[in-house]
Amino acid sequence: MIVGFAGKLYKNYEKDGIELLKEAIDEALEMAGLNYADIDGIMANIGRGSFHGNKTYLNPPVQISEYFGIKPKIIDHVQYGGPSVLSMIYRAYKAINAGDAETILCIQGGKISHLRDNHFQKTDIIDSPFDDYIKIYEQMSPISDYAMVAYRHSKLFGTTDEQRARVAVMQRYSASYNPKALFRNPITVKDVLQSRIVSYPLHLLEIVYPIDGFHVFVVSKRRGKSVLRNIDILAYGEAHWPNPPAEWDDIIYTPAIESAKRASFDLNRVDTFQLYDSFTITVMLQMEDIGLVEKGKVGQFVESHDLTFKGDVPINTGGGSLNTGQPAYMSGGVILEEALLQLNDMADGHQVKGADVVFLNGIGWWSRRHSVTLVLGERK
Amino acid sequence: MRDDEIRESYFKYFNEEKLPFIQCKNCGHRFYYPRAFCPKCGSSDVEVRFSKGQGKIFAMTKIYRKDGSYVVYGIVELDEGFRMYSNIVEGNQADIAKRVEVIFKEINGKKYPLFKVA
Repeated sequence: MIVGFAGKLYKNYEKDGIELLKEAIDEALEMAGLNYADIDGIMANIGRGSFHGNKTYLNPPVQISEYFGIKPKIIDHVQYGGPSVLSMIYRAYKAINAGDAETILCIQGGKISHLRDNHFQKTDIIDSPFDDYIKIYEQMSPISDYAMVAYRHSKLFGTTDEQRARVAVMQRYSASYNPKALFRNPITVKDVLQSRIVSYPLHLLEIVYPIDGFHVFVVSKRRGKSVLRNIDILAYGEAHWPNPPAEWDDIIYTPAIESAKRASFDLNRVDTFQLYDSFTITVMLQMEDIGLVEKGKVGQFVESHDLTFKGDVPINTGGGSLNTGQPAYMSGGVILEEALLQLNDMADGHQVKGADVVFLNGIGWWSRRHSVTLVLGERK
Repeated sequence: MRDDEIRESYFKYFNEEKLPFIQCKNCGHRFYYPRAFCPKCGSSDVEVRFSKGQGKIFAMTKIYRKDGSYVVYGIVELDEGFRMYSNIVEGNQADIAKRVEVIFKEINGKKYPLFKVA
């Protein structure tokens, strides 16, 4: 039912965000063979300060519809950071199956390069009711937050910098075969460890680079001229731990433990994994929390397995957002696009042979409070 | 207590160099981030209490500035059982499980609790 998709990624997009979005919608509709007039549902999650200069839409699916002249039967604003687009796909499938709409656009991304070096411009949008008691401190959320997890993981389990670096190296290897990757030159463990420490123990080459970009996915019961496989949702689960992680039992766990349990899918059936990769440690935490490896053992696992698209456990086969860049601070579109490329034998240069089942997991918000597990494949 | 009262009271106590936390009188849950009701049982019967300011580092990172200096940011677990984010000074000796004690410093013209290695 996903009949078209597109990802348009730029280090610095010159025009406004709304024009970048149009490029992505046009390309996705073109693949689907559908027109703007066919769209009767819209779901979106857009980065802050993304449309006209640094303007933020209050409810993006509404204002996008207004601008484009779309008159939807359903509108959904799904906003819990990076994995939101994975939830939109699930909700779009359900809405279409229920007869609420026929063709739904799922949109994620934004133009944020003007905020990238300026970090966040002060706005009256708050990320947490407790910003006044947390953000006042000298910190670098979300980098410092994940760095704390990486360090605690090392202290508790002996996970080393080299082991984390291996994740970056293997993803870069896959990226070197992906024409859409921004960073393609091969790197070594030594390169990662010699890159600047941003927030100890995380090095620069373990951290995503925020870029301008939109992903658009067309979910429809109409096939148009689409030649894509009839991909179904084989399993789904989401979990939300909204408290500040300081209040959790421990920060080394993520809600992926619960979202994966809710999806309850046999990992032996999975051909490739697409795991949210805002940082090296993010990938490793999910490998543990989805049940691929026991908690605390991921360091040894990445030493004894090949995670590249050619490997025995292919993870983030296009190099992940660590190498494509992270559109508007949200990587969900990157892993979903890669999953669809793999399933449709369209992963130019980095195709996993016989990719019939893809397991995705997204992690969201500044501090991993949201997790979405989505398994895609053909229902036979 | 009203939400605005409880939030404002934190800044008043910081100014007096006291570290507040909240205890639910219904279920006994203790938490730092100021709420007018208990996030565990939903009761509005909560009271502000004061920590002795002693605890240990639960998690930490050193954030490097461009000039090579760094600041320590972490999660501190107080002996009363609640946890909070803060900066930790005298960072060289800071590490997970090290004992710390609260100190108060001005940030943007207001006093806030920070910690130093004990």
